[in-house]
Amino acid sequence: MAEQKAPQKWGLVVDLDRCTGCNACIAACSMENNIPFVGEDEVAYGRGLYWLYNKREWRGEYPEIKPAFEPVMCQQCGNAPCEPVCPVFASVHSEEEQINLAVYNRCVGTRYCANNCPYHARQFNYFDYELPEPMNSYLNPDVTVRRRGVMEKCTFCVQRIVRGRQKAAAEGREVEDGEIQPACVQACPAGALVFGDVSNPESKASQMARNQRRYQLLEELGTLPRVTYLKGGGRYGG
Amino acid sequence: MSNTLSRRDFLKLSGLGAAVSAVLTGCGPMARYIVRKPYTSMPEYNQTGLSTYYASTCRECPAGCGIIVRTKEGRAITIEGNPQHPVNRGRLCSRGVTAQQGLYNPDRIRGPVFQARGDAGRAKAITWDEALNVVQQALASSPDQIAFLLGAAPDHLFDLVSEMTATLGAPAPVRYNALTTFEGRTTLLEAARLTFGEETLPYFDLANADVTFAFGANFLENWLSPVAYTRAYGEFRQGRPTRRGYLVVFEARQSLTAGNADEWIPIRPGSEAILAAVFNRLVAEARGKPVSPAFSTVTVSAAAAASGVSEEKIRQLAQLFAAASHPLAIPGGSALAQADGLMTARSLLYLNAVVENLGQPGGVFLTPAQVAATDFAAVKELVRRMTDSKVKVLFIHGVNPLFELPGALGFGEALAKVPLVISFASFPDETALASDYILPDHTPLESFGYQRVLAGSDRPAYSSFQPVVVPLYDTRATADVLLAAVKQLGMAAAQAFPYKDEVEYIQQKLLPLIEAGGFYTAPEIFTFWSRWLQYGGWWKPQAELSAPRQAVPPEEAFPFTPPVELEEGKQFYLITFPNHFGDGSGANRPWLQELPDWMTTVTWNSWVEIHPKTAEELGLHDDDVVRISTPFGFVEASVYRYPAIRPDTIAIPFGQGHTALGRWAEGRGCNPAQVLPTTTNAAGDLTFGSVVATILPTGKRRPLARVESKEGIYGEH
Repeated sequence: MAEQKAPQKWGLVVDLDRCTGCNACIAACSMENNIPFVGEDEVAYGRGLYWLYNKREWRGEYPEIKPAFEPVMCQQCGNAPCEPVCPVFASVHSEEEQINLAVYNRCVGTRYCANNCPYHARQFNYFDYELPEPMNSYLNPDVTVRRRGVMEKCTFCVQRIVRGRQKAAAEGREVEDGEIQPACVQACPAGALVFGDVSNPESKASQMARNQRRYQLLEELGTLPRVTYLKGGGRYGG
Repeated sequence: MSNTLSRRDFLKLSGLGAAVSAVLTGCGPMARYIVRKPYTSMPEYNQTGLSTYYASTCRECPAGCGIIVRTKEGRAITIEGNPQHPVNRGRLCSRGVTAQQGLYNPDRIRGPVFQARGDAGRAKAITWDEALNVVQQALASSPDQIAFLLGAAPDHLFDLVSEMTATLGAPAPVRYNALTTFEGRTTLLEAARLTFGEETLPYFDLANADVTFAFGANFLENWLSPVAYTRAYGEFRQGRPTRRGYLVVFEARQSLTAGNADEWIPIRPGSEAILAAVFNRLVAEARGKPVSPAFSTVTVSAAAAASGVSEEKIRQLAQLFAAASHPLAIPGGSALAQADGLMTARSLLYLNAVVENLGQPGGVFLTPAQVAATDFAAVKELVRRMTDSKVKVLFIHGVNPLFELPGALGFGEALAKVPLVISFASFPDETALASDYILPDHTPLESFGYQRVLAGSDRPAYSSFQPVVVPLYDTRATADVLLAAVKQLGMAAAQAFPYKDEVEYIQQKLLPLIEAGGFYTAPEIFTFWSRWLQYGGWWKPQAELSAPRQAVPPEEAFPFTPPVELEEGKQFYLITFPNHFGDGSGANRPWLQELPDWMTTVTWNSWVEIHPKTAEELGLHDDDVVRISTPFGFVEASVYRYPAIRPDTIAIPFGQGHTALGRWAEGRGCNPAQVLPTTTNAAGDLTFGSVVATILPTGKRRPLARVESKEGIYGEH
């Protein structure tokens, strides 16, 4: 494989002014990443496996009321609270992609990482969720199927990052901006999600992140999230 | 599949090789005939370890978005948007990306069956030869006693059946889909005909508008072409460096579209027409234009009294609209499902003419596609014919009338009077189980076909279907079944349909496109066909929409129907709205069931939305099961205290409440079609918009699986 100059820092920008809350991102994520559906009772117990969930909050009082949507996925913290607590190094930082990975076959299910994650981004497989034949046919061979007792979470579709990087390397070129898209970004009908290399100031994601509307979730915790949100509901310069 | 390989097919297949690109292939896993090749040269759809991508069209709703399906070792893995497709430009909605769960649904019908109307003792599997004989005999019966009921997709089957019924002298096929009713499509078409002189769906250029008024058009969820409109909505908000669009939505219950609006105006159901009229008057006055007679007598005070919006607010909104440089008014959905729905649609379309946005950026255009209308009135007529025993044979494809039609229409009783009902359903839905025969069609991801893009494209476009996997079961394309049966009928009919199979029929229909100036062409049909499959359709290289040539306002003063008066605290307006299950066929996709509802975050069930204040007055809490009764029937559902709805209005989502359709859909929630009326507005659309309902607590409790409680994981639960 060709030598990379410097590792890309993958980042995601969520423009909440474009986001409609349509949940296409959740569906696309689930189908790409072999996420099982758990059924009504388990969802009611709060055990739904949504790697990406749409935080809907009612703002205001009738009649001036509206929902505020905020899609929350793993924030891929630069200083991730989930990493130091894992006794088996299942929650690790990857050198290559500069993101926080979940190594499923190391995980022993202590759930320390989920307890330490301030974003509720980690999901636990309380049971084995079998897909009845022939529904297992659509399972994506690029993504491990997790079993009971394993913690899982958003990986920025690392399989797509690897595929894009390998393709570019095989063609002897750099990865182009916008070439690699996680499933949620690819589906988003409103164009609210933008993914790219945030170490490159010219990438679309970097340009969007330099916006006066920008904020990050729980910035004050010092987790250095790799996901940037742009406030909805108007322009604040920038 | 036949295993013959004629010389012509062989040449065709080998000719395809040259046209096939590295990524998208024009030659599919069901290239009609089996090609045997050595292992060293695997068929392209089965290259171990490598993905093959096929361009096709999503058929989860009739909008016709382009998809690219990633397959591996002959399995459909993920569904992605087709970046070149003029409707969705690479984007998709939650229904589109979960379509594999239809293809690989374990509850699919796996071969032709004699169903005996659900009589399990007599039901038995049959062969396709027997099935063909049944269809042939059915088609040989007296033509005026044959009826076809088709869904809104696919169009090629509709075209074929239309030609067949014309040849046989049978009545034209009737098309229905619950979504078209919820869209108010017929009303919109009729309003466009009366206002612009052309019966075609308008295209609203939301992306370039600055102040947009939407009356009931839930374009971010289901309306006409939701992905295209959501894409436009993104541009409307943040696509321009200096302007941010301002959206105002008028409806009684806050939909997702209204939830994203800058202002949601909760008007009383039934007051849309007078409000649209008064905006016409105020905007025309503000812009110094003559007020057309139909609107000149409408007073602001009357509109305020009817709608519950203050006079001051109405004047302020009219001022906002009149002062905007690119105002846009969009009529649709529940606003048109009222007694005065046609007037509402005409007034709002004309409002666009008053602000001179016809054919302007951010304005109204006319789409070029011919519309094969789906009409509730036509369905009503069909049910009447069935009830009068005038229909001896009924063919049903792509629609589930027992579920989708209002229960009060009596489709079930009418169906019992039809001696022979043949369903082409892929899934064991309510209607299929009540049929004599089920002759399962391939599912959309296994099919050929085309869909004319009606509303979401800024240019003429045909979207193509191709199989992305080899059909899983012993299913057969309905077009093939019909063609084979017609062939057996005898000389005259066979001569009218000389096509060998479905593909040849589609190719013949595509012939005019070769010379029509698309973004590609070819010297002959076979090369054209391979590109057609490869690109996922055919469209013009540049935007091409016509401006309406004229705009005619409603002529004389209109006697507005006042909103239905309610007995306060006892009676409520009932709104039925579609969510991500679309016409209800999405309910057997487990991930759509698990997907939280946009507004309530409820999964896997139905609910009834009640304003918290109203709930308190009635002594109702979240998860209390209540009975909702209307003059047409009743349903039961759990209460969700919904803060964004008028206190005098309640709402139930459409799509759940299946009594069939497989393990994930069955016995879940309630079907509000059971409480809908059968009355129609002047355009023939169902007036579901101001049904009056009563609430009766049942004393039961059924907790709803809400995802919002995850937020309160350390508090509430």
